[in-house]
Amino acid sequence: MSQTKHNRTKGSHAGRILVIATHTFTQLVRMKVFYFMGFFAVIVIASNFFDLPQHEGPESVGANVLRSIKSWSLGAMTLFSVVLSVVATALLLPKDVEDRTLYTILAKPVPRFDYLAGKLLGVLMLVFVSLACMDLLMTAVLHIRTGMVVAQQAEMAAAMGWPQDAIDSLRSDTLAHGPNAALQGAVFAVFLRAAIMASLALLISTFSTSTLFTTIVSFLIYFIGHFQADARDVYLHAGQAGEGVFARLAALLLSLVLPDFQLFNVIDAVIEGQALPLLAVGKLALVGLYYALFFAFVSWFIFADKEF
Amino acid sequence: MVCPLMAEIIPAVEIRDLVKDFKTSFRRKPLRAVDGVSIRIMPGEVYGLIGPNGSGKSTTMKALLGLVAPTSGNCAIFGKDSLKVDSRNEVGFLPENPYFYKHLSGAETLRFYGKLCGIGGKVLSERINELLALVDLENARDRRVGGYSKGMLQRIGLAQALIQEPRLVILDEPTAGVDPVGSRQIRDMILTLRDRGITVFLCSHLLEQVQEVCDHVGIIFQGHMIREGRLEDLISIEDQTDIVLRDATPELLEKITALVENTPGAAIVRTGKPRTTLERLFLREIREEEP
Repeated sequence: MSQTKHNRTKGSHAGRILVIATHTFTQLVRMKVFYFMGFFAVIVIASNFFDLPQHEGPESVGANVLRSIKSWSLGAMTLFSVVLSVVATALLLPKDVEDRTLYTILAKPVPRFDYLAGKLLGVLMLVFVSLACMDLLMTAVLHIRTGMVVAQQAEMAAAMGWPQDAIDSLRSDTLAHGPNAALQGAVFAVFLRAAIMASLALLISTFSTSTLFTTIVSFLIYFIGHFQADARDVYLHAGQAGEGVFARLAALLLSLVLPDFQLFNVIDAVIEGQALPLLAVGKLALVGLYYALFFAFVSWFIFADKEF
Repeated sequence: MVCPLMAEIIPAVEIRDLVKDFKTSFRRKPLRAVDGVSIRIMPGEVYGLIGPNGSGKSTTMKALLGLVAPTSGNCAIFGKDSLKVDSRNEVGFLPENPYFYKHLSGAETLRFYGKLCGIGGKVLSERINELLALVDLENARDRRVGGYSKGMLQRIGLAQALIQEPRLVILDEPTAGVDPVGSRQIRDMILTLRDRGITVFLCSHLLEQVQEVCDHVGIIFQGHMIREGRLEDLISIEDQTDIVLRDATPELLEKITALVENTPGAAIVRTGKPRTTLERLFLREIREEEP
């Protein structure tokens, strides 16, 4: 009897990870985390009213409102996705240990790696779905508003007797502020940053004793991540310190372990209407993947020997 | 290919010289929770590990499940090392005072654990129905586990332990905090498992219950196994015999007493009326009260 049953009960790694991930997703959804979508909708709609009166000419009519919609939306997306990643991840592991549900899961033929990977994937699924919904709303609002602005500008330019090529050039400038590929790239960057943070929070929660500790340390590292590149440059270029091999190695090690969030400043460039080359998105994806996987593997390393 | 006869003689549980130390703080001596415990449980046995709180029962079980790593010694389930994941294919575990995910219903809980074991589809659905019937939770299948009573939590816990039809079930204080009716239900379920040939390893400090269901017991105290063996052998008083009579007249009792007194070497130690236990009385009374 046992031989056939063995085969049946084993399952695959991917299968188990997916079971834990979808369960984690359901768990978070049933914790009513999607309520924040309501706030997001309010923010996006409110950002429409930040249209300062313009008197300079048709070229700047309505451009500010498009920038404002993007700025507010991406800002809110960053805030929600980072908070969600950190808090949800910090909450899940200690909760399972406290409720002893972890015992019942690890007492099944579930490798510890599958458990961790499933939890992380579940949080990322939630962040992804949330960002996709927010993106959809932002893109829709931006699309409608861009159409309005373009029409308004064309009307004013025509009234002022602008030549056709000038009107076309103004139109393409305005469309650069509308929903485009660069904007989707920026949303992807927001997701990558949240993924790094979720992975980092997972790592901290494998050795932390409380959700509060995990949350605080994660946010601390988040802020450090925003100025670590500057700090590194200042250190390396300030006099003697930067010349030693040891100093350079230390700086390199620091950047390997602590995520450099300045790379994500491309999001601000997109808000300003600049293009986001595919190469930059690819580079960001690689960097994001490196940190997320690095933290996930260190988490596994710690969790594999943990006793309950 | 393993010969079925050979497979049968592999012990369901084999714990050899298990020692487990826990670090307390940097300078202090580590705390030894389990010290040289060896347990062997053959397939089909119901083994009860008894001992006071903090005697090392739960740690022994956790080591068997690979939740803690032994400081020395080793544990195996059906010949497979407990530190390896595949040893858990054949085992179901119900921890002490379990809490399951509150947001799932009873049926969803079982589905989650079933999927973790690689079961799915129709087989899983049928298994869930069968187990919910076994633990008498069919009426609560779609209720969230967050609203379950303590006894119901223990029963859904037992059901999840059985989801992949394990050959060994490990129960840590299965009746702790459960009322007598619920406790009786759990005990009956353990007996059902025994009848189905499933090996049961349970630990408890409720001695009377252990006595009712177990055929082997071990007594653990301060991390040491101080007594182990077949329950019958351990508790029978070898030189005494019980005779329980119904409707015996005083004359008959006198005759028996005279017969015993006339037999050299034999003596009556005690006579009197056997008493029911308070638990049996309680169960009988509430059953009578039921409509």
